[in-house]
Amino acid sequence: MQTYQALQLDALGDATRRAVLERLLAGPLPVGEIARDFAISRPAISQHLRILKQAKLVTDRSAGTRRLYQLNPEGFDAIRSYCDRFWTQALAAFKEQVENPIPKEK
Amino acid sequence: MTTAIDPTPDQPVHKTITVQASPERAFQVFTGGIDTWWPRTHHIGQSAMTKTVIECYAGGRCYSEQADGTECVWGSILAWEPPHRFVMAWQIDQQWKYQPDPAQSSEVEVRFTPEEGGATRVDLEHRHFNRLGAGADTMRTAVASPMGWAGLLRGFAVQVD
Repeated sequence: MQTYQALQLDALGDATRRAVLERLLAGPLPVGEIARDFAISRPAISQHLRILKQAKLVTDRSAGTRRLYQLNPEGFDAIRSYCDRFWTQALAAFKEQVENPIPKEK
Repeated sequence: MTTAIDPTPDQPVHKTITVQASPERAFQVFTGGIDTWWPRTHHIGQSAMTKTVIECYAGGRCYSEQADGTECVWGSILAWEPPHRFVMAWQIDQQWKYQPDPAQSSEVEVRFTPEEGGATRVDLEHRHFNRLGAGADTMRTAVASPMGWAGLLRGFAVQVD
């Protein structure tokens, strides 16, 4: 879980990778077509896609002779992952308050 | 043209914690006493949050009071069965705004089960995130909104604090 979150943050911390994700908003694309929009080489784009894939932000599949990359909805489920972390923190505070009540200030 | 992305399946968040207290007390602190433990950083108001309130009855509101004098509703009680369980609609949308329609909101169920030695197991399920929108629309919003990149980073900061 931690590792997965850390991978996502690393993946999102790069402007080229964010631009690749935005490019994929319109729908699945092969690497060649993504690379056409960027000033860097196709192998460099492939490397960025590999990192995005490891972070579960994109998935790939073969379509005939080509490999298509697309956004992974689960990786973008920001509200869900926020709530997952939120409840861990909130329930720890709840447990503390139930077992060792702290009188309210003010 | 539609893309080949499947609608997002429902993937509930499950959390369990055991507290050394009776179900009655755990239920009361969780609901009526929510202001004593709810993280001060978690609200959808425009100013600092001064208080969190759950109205303790079916149909009751969940809201916060803000330093600028406003109230921000963020949920409502769908089921109320003290001291066993309650369900609340979590009426916060992808834009981090209040969603008036519970049918388009996620929801949280909390169960309190007595355990040996006077303890209580608290099981929390936060579910129906898929009601917030599916597939490409969800992602477009997630990428474009503050809950996208910024939200991930903020959530991470909370985790490592």
